[in-house]
Amino acid sequence: MNYNVSPINSEMIQTQPSYTEGCIFDIKELTVHDGPGVRVTIFLKGCPLSCIWCHNPEGISPKPELMIRENGCRHCGMCLKPCNHPECQGLGRCIKICPLGLIQKSGYYISSRDLSEKILRLSDVLDSLHGGYTLSGGEPLFQPRFLFDLISFLKPHHVAIETSGFAETHIFKKAMDLADLILFDIKHMDPEAHKKGTGVDNNLIQSNLSLLISSGKPFIARIPIIPGYNDDPANMRATAQRLKEAKDNVRVELLPYNPFAGAKYPMLRRIYSGQEFDKKVPNLDPSFFDELGLETVIL
Amino acid sequence: MTESVQKLYDFIREKRHHKFRKEFPYDIAQGFADLHLSPIERMGQRFIAVMAAEGPVILEGEHIVLLRTIKALPPLFTEEEWQDIKSKHYIHEHGYVCNISPNYALTIASGLEARKKEVIACQNQCLLSEDKEGYLFLKVVASDIDALLDLADRYRNEAIRIGRLDIAAILERVPRYGATNFLEALQFFRFLHFSLWIEGEYHNTIGRFDQYLFPYLQNDLDNGTLTEEQAFDLLEEFFLSFNRDSDLYPGVQQGDNGQSLVLGGTALGRDLFNKLSEMCLRASKELHLIDPKINIRVSSLTPDRVFELGTELTKEGLGFPQYSNDDVVIPALISLGYQANDAQDYVVAACWEFIVPGKGMDIPNIAALNFPAIVDHCIHEPVIFEHFEQFLEEIKKQIFIEVNKLASDVKNLWMIPAPFMSLLMEGCIDKARDISYGCKYNNYGFHGTGISTAVDSLAAIRKYIYEDKSLSWAELLDAIDKDFAGHEELLSKLRYEAPKMGNADPKTDSLASFLLSTFADATENLHNDRGGRIRAGTGSAMYYIWHARDLGASPDGRRKGEWFSANYSPSLFARVAGPLSIVKSFARPELKRTINGGPLTMEFHSTLFQDKDSIEKVASLVRLFMKLGGHQFQLNAVNREALLDAQLHPERYGNLIVRVWGWSAYFVELNKEYQDHVIRRTEYSF
Repeated sequence: MNYNVSPINSEMIQTQPSYTEGCIFDIKELTVHDGPGVRVTIFLKGCPLSCIWCHNPEGISPKPELMIRENGCRHCGMCLKPCNHPECQGLGRCIKICPLGLIQKSGYYISSRDLSEKILRLSDVLDSLHGGYTLSGGEPLFQPRFLFDLISFLKPHHVAIETSGFAETHIFKKAMDLADLILFDIKHMDPEAHKKGTGVDNNLIQSNLSLLISSGKPFIARIPIIPGYNDDPANMRATAQRLKEAKDNVRVELLPYNPFAGAKYPMLRRIYSGQEFDKKVPNLDPSFFDELGLETVIL
Repeated sequence: MTESVQKLYDFIREKRHHKFRKEFPYDIAQGFADLHLSPIERMGQRFIAVMAAEGPVILEGEHIVLLRTIKALPPLFTEEEWQDIKSKHYIHEHGYVCNISPNYALTIASGLEARKKEVIACQNQCLLSEDKEGYLFLKVVASDIDALLDLADRYRNEAIRIGRLDIAAILERVPRYGATNFLEALQFFRFLHFSLWIEGEYHNTIGRFDQYLFPYLQNDLDNGTLTEEQAFDLLEEFFLSFNRDSDLYPGVQQGDNGQSLVLGGTALGRDLFNKLSEMCLRASKELHLIDPKINIRVSSLTPDRVFELGTELTKEGLGFPQYSNDDVVIPALISLGYQANDAQDYVVAACWEFIVPGKGMDIPNIAALNFPAIVDHCIHEPVIFEHFEQFLEEIKKQIFIEVNKLASDVKNLWMIPAPFMSLLMEGCIDKARDISYGCKYNNYGFHGTGISTAVDSLAAIRKYIYEDKSLSWAELLDAIDKDFAGHEELLSKLRYEAPKMGNADPKTDSLASFLLSTFADATENLHNDRGGRIRAGTGSAMYYIWHARDLGASPDGRRKGEWFSANYSPSLFARVAGPLSIVKSFARPELKRTINGGPLTMEFHSTLFQDKDSIEKVASLVRLFMKLGGHQFQLNAVNREALLDAQLHPERYGNLIVRVWGWSAYFVELNKEYQDHVIRRTEYSF
């Protein structure tokens, strides 16, 4: 299939064979750290990694799930009354009755066409502000067909993909070809440590990174700085070394650990196991990268 | 901040200057009544007496003097007299002239002695034409000038006494003669502004300070008598002076004092943002004080850098700058009947109302249309509306009725004369007429409260009753009248699923266009009894609480008594798509016809402003709203966690500043309900 499509017109939309459905959990406007210009970021639900410090835990499961903000709940119990809403089936609670709006379903299925229609309303604005769309997650490459369909609808507007790099090679390649920009996360250089922190080793990620570097395409390397996990000089130096050969094409962004990472876990009735990070200060020293001539910013 | 500015700053923030304050005898009104003095004579006598009681206080290290020492002004009228006046007239707020923008520049340039000569000459004219009232008015103006000159002399003697010959030298010239340099101009301004408050006027705005004071600065810099750093220090000290006496100024809450200052603007195809404008932004950012409240006039000609400098200030969380769009405001004022050169000179009044300095005696906040109350009225009518369009027709009819009623309620206005203010307003001296009778422009403005609540209510009615037919009128009315008791599911649907203004959904937003254009149509041909027009606007002022307090539940899922959003913004509980959608929804073409003022207000979490890149992007959002046809924009950096903590530990948050509705205040000085409203607004900050 050829994805280098020209601008969408209504005729094309009607004749497009399939509108894959995908699951997303958020659309955020005016995301300032997700690529160039003013952007809208779409968060695709589902991620094969489970990073201890993940601050969007609702992005991990590929299915819609219940999210309850306990803070503010007056325990009126109305959500526990059985209901007949199809949307509430299997959730054990009615999500359509909370007078305070504390119960929400995180994630919903939407076709690539409906989603694009929804977000293309802002395309004129995004174009004029030199921005575009960023497809993030979760892991956007975890829903490849949906993602690629979506991109075809969003073109010719600027599209960035933010990925962990953990995807089969052919999928990653296609993403690289389709997107105008890749935001590539690098969590740890050591396979063992990578597995410990994210649940998977980094072999696939590293081989995809090699593809990206050798493609010569400009990209952004995003490094979450997790105190005591990956901010030691040895790993920072190794990461910088890894990116050295791409130095004319890469911008390095250091993302300090988010001290509120644990905030959403109780809403999902999960336990945050990254408290150890809360006690430490991340080492945000850009010098390892600066020394090698890599453009580096701290976000 | 230099050490000497820092010292003054500490002195004032620690309120150490309060020790110089004293009370003035309260009961002068009875004496006035016994002597059968006219209101203008009373204003003159009180001014002279209070000025005479003002002592010279020169603080250590300061260069710009004048400290208010008299706390409250005594009433002019006895209680019975005031009741009598009120029974015969419409009295706006406290009765004093307020919320206008004087022309300081003319007097600063010419000096009070020259101005007094002008007054005397006109007084002689009155003698010839046997205009007794005019003669008396001008006599009071002349004695007011004398009282101010006398105070200035006492300050000068004090300066000599304590060995501050630099100050004495300045006071040798101003306010008697025209200012010859930047410092003299600042000191002169201080005299004039101080005098207005002493006279009793309030919400005395500052106007286009960067324009009328720039020539003095430029001259000093050109001839080398002042360096830019020195000028900046003086400017900071000058800004501090707005925070000395402001707790004595009347307002709905502390901070509501109308000391708004306007920067930039366009004229003849040129953007006027200059070196002084930039210095003002820097000074405000460094001082971190609630006054003066900064506004920036922008247009398609404004360079990006100005938006970025503005955003740098927004980042500080002071609740300003507020932006207004020349490309929309100027033509809109012209179509309201303002002359082009006057429209080009517009400023904002205390909050956001557009007025013309030196020429406008507009009362832009005289009344407010409560949009959700109109919807409430119409849904309770015992009429069956078969089609939604019929319902809209009824809304339209009721808006016309209500606007007419508001207009007839404000007839026969009387204001307390303001002779000193008259000196600073065009034509008052020449025509020997006090400003309280009016000026070149005498329009009234009506705010429009709860626009988004009304739009959302109409959208919900259209969708559920007329389109989906999933809701009956009877069920909706029952739910509303019971404040949704027993209708929890409907409540949740209306609040969190129904269409809302702010989602860039053209269908819903067209209802905003309908309401705004109807409001404009209803005011279009109305006149007030001062020969002015009625201007429709998008501001809420404190009505977001006042109007909402007594109103029952509404069809958008708002519960009884729940507040409206401030000014022109999405409803407080609407989970709208985001800032870009909001900007698209709210930039309505009808704003050109509802130009009394009232900004789109948006709250961003303070962490959004971290780096230069983010600042540029947020700045581009401001520019976008203007490009799409927005009229006025107020962006706030907020930290919800800090606000919540400040309610628990006010003692730790003495310097925490928030935007209220058209002005900034120290959070801990606000009443709880205004604090809660600010917190409510931050719930869905971006």
